[in-house]
Amino acid sequence: MAITRGGIAAVTFVYLALPAAALAQGQPDDPLAVGRQMLMEDNPGELWIERGKQFFYEKRGPKKASLEQCDFGQGPGKLEGAAARLPRYFADTDKVQDLESRLLTCMVRLQGFKESDIVRRAISPGGSSGSDVEALALYITSRSNGMKVNVTLNHQKEYDSYKAGEYLFFRRSGQTDFACVQCHGEAGKRIRLQDLIHMTDKKGAQEVASTWPAYRGAHYVVRTMQWRLNDCVWQMRLPDLNYGSDYAIALTHYLNYNGNGADIRVPGFKR
Amino acid sequence: MKKTWLMFGAPVAGALIAAGCATYPDAQTTRQNAEKMVNDSFTASPAHAKRLAQDRSQQICSKIAGAQLTQQEAAEVVELARASMKYPASGKLVGNWKIGDKLAHDGAGDRIRRGKLENRKENGGLCQNCHALAPGEINVGNVGPSLTGYGVQRGDSEAIAKLTYERIYNGWAYVPCSNMPRLGATGHLTPEQITHLVAFLIDPASPINSKR
Repeated sequence: MAITRGGIAAVTFVYLALPAAALAQGQPDDPLAVGRQMLMEDNPGELWIERGKQFFYEKRGPKKASLEQCDFGQGPGKLEGAAARLPRYFADTDKVQDLESRLLTCMVRLQGFKESDIVRRAISPGGSSGSDVEALALYITSRSNGMKVNVTLNHQKEYDSYKAGEYLFFRRSGQTDFACVQCHGEAGKRIRLQDLIHMTDKKGAQEVASTWPAYRGAHYVVRTMQWRLNDCVWQMRLPDLNYGSDYAIALTHYLNYNGNGADIRVPGFKR
Repeated sequence: MKKTWLMFGAPVAGALIAAGCATYPDAQTTRQNAEKMVNDSFTASPAHAKRLAQDRSQQICSKIAGAQLTQQEAAEVVELARASMKYPASGKLVGNWKIGDKLAHDGAGDRIRRGKLENRKENGGLCQNCHALAPGEINVGNVGPSLTGYGVQRGDSEAIAKLTYERIYNGWAYVPCSNMPRLGATGHLTPEQITHLVAFLIDPASPINSKR
C-alpha cells in the first residue's frame, strides 16, 4: 500500500488541533470547514479507486471471470452514470437493488463466489487495506463523478421500495426508541461533537446520495453506504443488519431519490 | 396533512399517466412491505429479534414525514407511559451524583455485533450524546435540550426529584413521542441507575449545577 499511516496521522492531527472553542460553535463559517476542505482535496480514498478498477477487470472467482458483463442498469459493463441511478429495479433478479446488492449478484452469478464468503469480508476491519466490495463500490460510483444523482420511480417495485424506505426512516423500535429521524430530522444537530446530516431536508439527502463510498478518517479505510447503515443500526441497539438486505436497499432508495440533483463526488470524506 | 397530499399527490397523478398502473402504494401496503423487510433483513437470536418489534407506543410514535399525533393518540401514549412507571425498591429517588456523572458520560452498553452482546456490567446513560451537561463541557450533543444548570433553575425538592425521575424513566408521560428514549420503561437503565442520574441533575454539589 502506498498509504503511510504517519501521513494520515499528520493530517488528522491538523484537523484535531483546531481550537476547541471553535468546535463547539458549529456556525456556518465554522473553522472546521478549513480542515475538511484540506482533507477533501487530498483524500486518501482516491487510492481505492485504482484498486477497485483492478478488481473489476481482473478474472476472479471460481469462474475466472471479470465483472465486465455485469449490468448496473445501463447495460453490461456500462458504468458511466450507472451508480447515479441506483437503486433501481432489475428484471433478472425481479428486485430493486442498490449498488452493493447488485455487485453481490454479479460476483455470485458471473464470478461464482459464494455469497456468504463475500458478505463475511465485505465490511473490512479498520486500518486494513479494505475489501474487494468496498473498492469495487467506490470505483463503480466514481464513474458517475461529476454527474447528478438521478433516481427514478417507474416500476411498481420501485414505488414500493421508496415508500418502504420512507416508512423505515420513521419507524421507532428497540430500547432506545430510535428511528433514523430522531437524529436526522432537524438542522444543526450533533451527537456529541459529530454533526448529523438533516436528511428530511433536500440538501441533507443530497449530501447522503452523493458522498458514499467515503474515506473514513477514523478507520483508515473506504466505507460504503451499507456500512453506514450497519453502524447506525448498531448504535440504535438493533440486531445485525444483513449485508445487501431489502431494509438497507429501501432506506438507500428513499434517501437517494430525495437526493436527486446532487453532484456525485466520491470518495467522500467522513471524520 | 394537506402538504403531504400536495407533495405526493402531484407525482402520483403524473406517474399514473406516464407509467400506466405503477404508482405509490397505499399506507397499508407500505406497512406490510416494510414490516416484511424488517423481518427478513436482520440476523438475530429470538431474544435479540424482540428489539425489532414495536410496542404500541412506538407504533403510534412512528408518524411519517411530519404527520401529527391526534389528541387521542397522544393521550394513549401518556396513559401507557404512566402505567409503565416503576420506582426503586428503596423508594429513594435521589441517588449519588458522582455515579450519575459517570453514567451520564457513558454511551455504551447492549449493542450487538455479529450476534454478540457488548460485554458490560451495566448500560451507560447516553445523556452526553444529546444534552449539554456541566458548564463549559464541549464534547456534548444538542439533539435534546441543554441540562446545564438543571437543578439551579428547579431546586431539589421531592416534587422535582419525582418529576426528573419520571422524565428519565419514561418521558413520554410528559411529552408523548418526544425524541427522548424511555430509558427505564424499555429496560435500558435500571431504576437504581436512574436515581443516580436524578442526583447528577438536581444535587447542588453536582457539576451540572456549578456556577462556573
